[in-house]
Amino acid sequence: MRQIHTIGIPRGLMAYRDGVLWKKFFEELGFQCIMSPKSDREILETGTARAVDETCLPFKMYLGHVMWLLGKCDAVFVPRTGGYTAREKMCTRYEALPDLVRNIFREEQIRILTVSYDWYVKTTEEKVYVELGAVLGKTKKEAKKAYSRAKKSQDAWLKPRIKGQNQILDSKKNKVLLAGHPYVLHDAYMGGELAHILQRMDAEVLYTDYVDRESALKKSYDFSRVMPWLINREITGALFMLKRKVDGIILVSAYPCGPDALVNDMLVRKLKNIPVLSLTLDAQSGTAGVETRIESFIDIIRYQKAGGYGN
Amino acid sequence: MKKKAYLGIDIGSISTKGVIIDEDNQFLAECYLWTEGNPTEATKKVLHSLEQQFDGDSYRIVSSGTTGSARKLVGSMIGAHVVKNEITAHAVGTTTLHPDVRTILEIGGQDSKIICVENGVAVDYAMNTLCAAGTGAFLSSQAHRLGVEVEEFGEIALKAKKAAPIAARCTVFAESDLVHKLQVGCPKEEIIAGLCKAVAGNYLNNVAKGKKIAAPVVFQGGVSKNAGVVHMFEEELGMPVLVDEKGHLMGAFGIAVLAKEQQDESEFSFDVAEMEFKTREITCGKCANHCEIICVYRDGQLIDSWGNRCDNGAVKNVV
Repeated sequence: MRQIHTIGIPRGLMAYRDGVLWKKFFEELGFQCIMSPKSDREILETGTARAVDETCLPFKMYLGHVMWLLGKCDAVFVPRTGGYTAREKMCTRYEALPDLVRNIFREEQIRILTVSYDWYVKTTEEKVYVELGAVLGKTKKEAKKAYSRAKKSQDAWLKPRIKGQNQILDSKKNKVLLAGHPYVLHDAYMGGELAHILQRMDAEVLYTDYVDRESALKKSYDFSRVMPWLINREITGALFMLKRKVDGIILVSAYPCGPDALVNDMLVRKLKNIPVLSLTLDAQSGTAGVETRIESFIDIIRYQKAGGYGN
Repeated sequence: MKKKAYLGIDIGSISTKGVIIDEDNQFLAECYLWTEGNPTEATKKVLHSLEQQFDGDSYRIVSSGTTGSARKLVGSMIGAHVVKNEITAHAVGTTTLHPDVRTILEIGGQDSKIICVENGVAVDYAMNTLCAAGTGAFLSSQAHRLGVEVEEFGEIALKAKKAAPIAARCTVFAESDLVHKLQVGCPKEEIIAGLCKAVAGNYLNNVAKGKKIAAPVVFQGGVSKNAGVVHMFEEELGMPVLVDEKGHLMGAFGIAVLAKEQQDESEFSFDVAEMEFKTREITCGKCANHCEIICVYRDGQLIDSWGNRCDNGAVKNVV
């Protein structure tokens, strides 16, 4: 098989959470990385054309990103992430990700580079990356060092975002927390549009993934001891950490997301004394419906602060 | 000296509503008609009707507002002072007429919403997502299937001894449920009562899910004219549900009140109803997003445009 020089990273799904770590890890080991560009309608359309109807919008988008990378790299990194513990799993889509991608692009003879772990086989993130290093022909020592540096880069990427968000908390403007999966919130074609709309209405935008992950994860156990999904834990944990400091919360979900359907339903019932808006994004190209909902939501916050209409 | 008056227009997917109020929020003129897929034409008709009712010798319109799904389009068409979403317009309108209201239920042609009010201000709301199950459009299509006018639904439903169980979670399922009930010989009025019950139940389990419904409850939107649905709501909630005689005009009334409250006044002329308005949808080719940009022309001149996600798609030459 051809030697790998360039590794493609699709800018979708967990790339919005762990992409910095992946890229740095490969680069530290001497590989070139190419990341697909920001999402746009064309990427979504090409991805949608290859996906089964029933799957979720972010997965369709992900396929579009994979397609963009085809022919531009020697292998595409598509991790299989089951989860590290039974209460911190990923949804089934992640457990099957490389298989799904391999099958969908079998005619293109896609070459996939992956990691693979499940909550029922005890392992650590470091071990997983050492194994990935071995696949790429690197020694344990090299891989460990690359992982450690990649982890540091990841932290260095997240820290200023947490800090920046903490500063926004002092702002006098209306502060709206966007709560959702990072790959929905930060995707230019999905959540990115929400942030624009909110900013046009002079609101400050905060995100549930710009907090310390460990603290959020820990906090989530106050909300539910049995909830099995890692990312929903990080979302809910962050949400309860920030709840008192913001003026409103928008639960953002991309259609159809199983874990969100369950967790957001519970959140809507449990969140009291703060305006909560539940938004579901789908592939409809018009933003009019979303704009109306956000505008109404900001009005609620605004008029409440003003103490009534006509003030 | 002519007294001041304020115009409010609510352009929904199914119906278009217009009101003119005076400084004491009294109705001077009102109109309600079908949008028929053409918001600019519907607005012109509404304006014609309002003009006929309006006493132009005693009053002058100094401010106007638009709300509803075509608020932007009609807003630029009539040069509205205020363009606001329907949630705020309904909340303002209802709290103006019913200062003690706590919950506003609204079911329109294609959407449904709930607004929770505390101390006269909306504190929370929810709107139906993705699909129009259990709205006016659903009732109309079922009425058509049953060969009954939808306006007669309420009266027929109230005559039924019991309501046939019908699933309104999804219009498609409801329809097959309904066909089945007809085939097993269920009386029509029980099916109609069942449909009304399904609309109320669907609303409470979806749109109003997780929301606290406190009395007094006001029910609005086209479906509130259906006494069967009102009855089912009262039964389900165990509290009286108030339907205002002007309930169908509440969005237009609310936006007129907001038009009154804004300071920048300028006289409105009914002449706009005589002008020719055209909209054109263009697909921007400047990047891969291919935004659909709406351009509005008055007598052939571009007056407004929107829909672009970025500045590259901004349409120039807006007068």
